[in-house]
Amino acid sequence: MPSSKVISVKDLSCTRGDNQLFDAVNFSVSGGQCLHVTGPNGCGKTSLLRLVAGINFVEHGEISWNSSDTANNPNFYSECAYIAHKEGLKNELTAIENLRYYQQLDSGTDEVALDDILDKMGILKCADLLAQQLSFGQRRRLSFARLLIADFTLWILDEPFTGIDTSGRNLIESLCVEHLQNGGLIIMTHHQSLVDSPLNQYRSELKLGRA
Amino acid sequence: MFRNTSSLIQPLVFFIIIALLFPFSLPAEGELLQRIGGGVIWVSAVLATMLSLESMFHSDYQDGTLEQMLIHPRSLPLAMLGKALAHWTATGLLLTLFSPLLCVTFNIPSEQIWVLFAGPLLGTPSLSLIGATGAALTVTLRRGGVLIAIVILPLYIPILIFGAGMLTQTAQGLEVASQLYALAAILALSITLAPFAIAGALRVTIN
Repeated sequence: MPSSKVISVKDLSCTRGDNQLFDAVNFSVSGGQCLHVTGPNGCGKTSLLRLVAGINFVEHGEISWNSSDTANNPNFYSECAYIAHKEGLKNELTAIENLRYYQQLDSGTDEVALDDILDKMGILKCADLLAQQLSFGQRRRLSFARLLIADFTLWILDEPFTGIDTSGRNLIESLCVEHLQNGGLIIMTHHQSLVDSPLNQYRSELKLGRA
Repeated sequence: MFRNTSSLIQPLVFFIIIALLFPFSLPAEGELLQRIGGGVIWVSAVLATMLSLESMFHSDYQDGTLEQMLIHPRSLPLAMLGKALAHWTATGLLLTLFSPLLCVTFNIPSEQIWVLFAGPLLGTPSLSLIGATGAALTVTLRRGGVLIAIVILPLYIPILIFGAGMLTQTAQGLEVASQLYALAAILALSITLAPFAIAGALRVTIN
């Protein structure tokens, strides 16, 4: 993966109703870097991530991916994965069927063995359980399994460690480190300090919310 | 959808029950039922489609699949066309298959029954496509059902007029080709335009 990929945000602001969440946010993340967005509840961390991912419209400011605008940019969308609280899992489908759905959408091939991915995420034994029978933590693991299906360069993770046990957290951290070492980019929110985490050496911090 | 059988059966049962209420509540004059039968079946089909619209994007919105669709590199309008057609196979197509059966309860002459098969076959896909636009506009609302009805029912009127008009025409021994063409034209328009309207509506409402 070439490390030349860079996402840069210029002068981005976000307003919800009459309430201005943040104003004039600037940052730039390039290959091998992890941006850790922090701030109190309600300061617009999730909104920032949704803006960057392209779910919400950018009203003021610009977001560019390799110096071209991200809006309606299929190159950007095919390299960006967004994992949030809503896992995007269908309750009526089994774990492996959920994964297969994304595999067919994202990579269009059957090459990657889904069992291996589930095994890596530690949920192989629930492959044939319906998603609604999985525990919250297992669902989180399943939604992270999606990141391994295709070659996403930019991972946008909204509170990736919520509801997940210590081994799960270690697993996700090691996946993130591996991704960063391969030249990937991560933008994540997490309300706790990441100083003790293996991610720390790749990390830069963005504080949202007025002091 | 096929693992969630209640969403499959509900519209169909609703359709049949609404249509069957009329023969019970109206005076038992064969000719009256014959005259209103086509209209009743069409109105029931519209209401049954209406009922199923609210759930169309609801679960996708709740579990986050919809957000993932929005940021997927593949075409959103195309995905929405697929979604609407899938909705149609579970509602409109089923209703179409059952409407000739209902004709029997309305004492509609057998040579006219094909009209109540061909009409819905051409008309119900448009109901799903246009209805999906309304469902997309109201997906973030908690009780969007009533609003969908207010937004969408006026748009269903042309389909209703041409669809139900066909039966009156055949009863008088007239040709129905013009109505079929009109329904086909509406279908062509909604297949080409509605996916873009649905995609646009979703982008705005999820924002």
